[in-house]
Amino acid sequence: MHAAPTRPPITFAGLPVSSWAFAIRIWLALLVALYVSFWLNLEAPSTAALTIAVLAFPTRGQAVEKACFRLMATTIGVAASIAMTGMFAQSNVLILAAFAAWMGLCVYVTSLLDGNRAYAAALCGTTVALIAMPQLDSPQMVFQAGMARGAAIAVGVLAVTFVNDFLAAPDFHPKVAAKIEALQLRFLSDASSVMRGEARSSIAAAGLLHDMTALRPEIASLAPESSSGQARYAAACAAAVDTIAALFLARALRALPVPVSSASDEQIIARLGEAPVAIGSFDRPLSGSEDIDSHDPVAMSRRWLATNLLQKNADTTQSLGALRAGIYPLHQWRVPLYRSHRLAMANGVRAGLCFALIATFLALTGWPTTASCLSLVGVLVGLSATVPDVRAFTTLAAIVAPISCLLVGILEFVVLDGVTDFPLLAIGLAPFIIGSALLISIPNLVLSSLGRANLVFTIAVFAPSNPQSYNPQTFLFTSLFLCLAALSLFVAQFIIPPLSNGDRLRRLMNAARRDLGGVEVHRHPRLAAEEAIYRDAVRVGKIVAAAAGSPSGAQAVEEAMWLFDQAATMRLCGEQLDRLDSGILAGLAEKARTSLTLRDARAISANAEAIRLAAAGPDDARIAASASLILAAHILSAPPPAVVLSCGDAP
Amino acid sequence: MMETFHEFIVGGVLVAPVVFYVLVTLVLIVLLRPVLHRIGFSRHFSSPSIAELSLYIAIFGLITLCF
Repeated sequence: MHAAPTRPPITFAGLPVSSWAFAIRIWLALLVALYVSFWLNLEAPSTAALTIAVLAFPTRGQAVEKACFRLMATTIGVAASIAMTGMFAQSNVLILAAFAAWMGLCVYVTSLLDGNRAYAAALCGTTVALIAMPQLDSPQMVFQAGMARGAAIAVGVLAVTFVNDFLAAPDFHPKVAAKIEALQLRFLSDASSVMRGEARSSIAAAGLLHDMTALRPEIASLAPESSSGQARYAAACAAAVDTIAALFLARALRALPVPVSSASDEQIIARLGEAPVAIGSFDRPLSGSEDIDSHDPVAMSRRWLATNLLQKNADTTQSLGALRAGIYPLHQWRVPLYRSHRLAMANGVRAGLCFALIATFLALTGWPTTASCLSLVGVLVGLSATVPDVRAFTTLAAIVAPISCLLVGILEFVVLDGVTDFPLLAIGLAPFIIGSALLISIPNLVLSSLGRANLVFTIAVFAPSNPQSYNPQTFLFTSLFLCLAALSLFVAQFIIPPLSNGDRLRRLMNAARRDLGGVEVHRHPRLAAEEAIYRDAVRVGKIVAAAAGSPSGAQAVEEAMWLFDQAATMRLCGEQLDRLDSGILAGLAEKARTSLTLRDARAISANAEAIRLAAAGPDDARIAASASLILAAHILSAPPPAVVLSCGDAP
Repeated sequence: MMETFHEFIVGGVLVAPVVFYVLVTLVLIVLLRPVLHRIGFSRHFSSPSIAELSLYIAIFGLITLCF
């Protein structure tokens, strides 16, 4: 498979034209949102502008999905604000405790989700922080504040949707398709490495699993993009799941010895390379393997695995074609997310305690209007839960906050300096908004995050209104509170540290070891084998992320891949044995399941042989069940790599 | 003669009718999407996103006019 040569993008001032177009779209959307908010005399025009900053994405699909979740989360957050202030407004201690508990709960749910769903869960917390906390002394205003925020967000969402649609913001699906195709090419390269048994092939395979499962939130953004979005989403899911299943099959092939007369690994590798350009080529039998099925169980198992591997690779190619064409793929898979409730609980408790600690500190100071500062702390606590590295986010916030305040000072008192005309406001905002948006579009993750944080903080501190007050005191207070909020959270996280990568890694490894014992080999599990393998791959992806930089990380990843192979093999066997349940081989299938649960390699081999030689049942189901059991006998008897992390953590 | 709009009352709270219209339009669009996909709606326009937005506005306008 060869990638088509691509033309280099046209650049202006060192940045691609697409980045400039994105930045100008954001600036225009901001102006539309502000103009409409001023025209409608909305009470919170700055929230409309902030919505534009939050929805600043280069493609339509991402912005639309996040907009939907932002609206839903705001509704939930407003309802929670009204409920909490209604119940606890009489006691400041109680209401602060309720806020802390709510923040903890939101962070817990955030940790269980990914992408924009996680953002929505965090926003439920930040909405309470923004609506209820500043109104601690006037709870009767909470409803009005909630309505004002909801209206402004609706205006912001409409503005960004109109501007993106009319200025032809690019669709997201070509980018997702390109990423999955690149990962498929990487899989083909890694499959060769795996099947030749090269050193560190497990690390490379785990890296591929990490990168493929990291695409899950992006794949979810395809659904709301257009009327064909659901079909494209299904196609992208199928491509991702099939690639991961194919990677497992390639590793499984390597685990089986190569009989003399069987198709060699080189032959399979060669066929893998040609499959994407000639779908259906797997129908051609692998040479040297036709006559031995009934004599050599291992050769039969290898042939079955090789055929499935080629099939999965061809399915991926077909799904990629469906993704581009906007049609449903031949096979549809779900992409379940691995959820660690223990990790989520630990994150939620830490976030709640952190918030309570800062709230206590601010209450003890007795300073006036500290509720505004606490509100910003709530926002930072909520948003920090949506990123993998909480401490890095807080550090970034502590760095960006003073920079944004300085920029707003220049904008408000040097550039604008008291002007009230909207065109002048638009011109004055241009360099600040376009500059930040350009930073967002840079591939470098640090610069991109810096740009996004700066865009949000700049608008939050500037707080455009009609008329703009240009009050230095208000500016100083807002700047002070923002910097204090970022700094106090930074300090609080030294007292109550968030989960470190080491902690996360240990808990994830323990969960993987624990779950291996509970792999579903019983009849008709909740998820298909491919879907369950995808979910396991999501965990491997999390382990890879947590192991980065750790001295024992490579060994942990090796063990994670060993556990992944074991679980995937058992799931595969369970699925193939299900096909025998309706026939007279049901008894043998049940025996095989028992041997799988006991992980008894000798009994598994004996059951595989009995099923293979049985003179009943459909041939293909019998051969598939027998082949998968032979694979299980080899994989389950493989010794584990050196265990590097103790199982002794008690969450 | 001025057109009068009737607010919706949810738990004693007056809600502007436009909110209700927007929600109904959203529900209709979500229900229409599989149909649009089946008839290949996006293939008939050079800019499908603008076409879908226009459809949304047309439905919203119709609902506002009818109620």
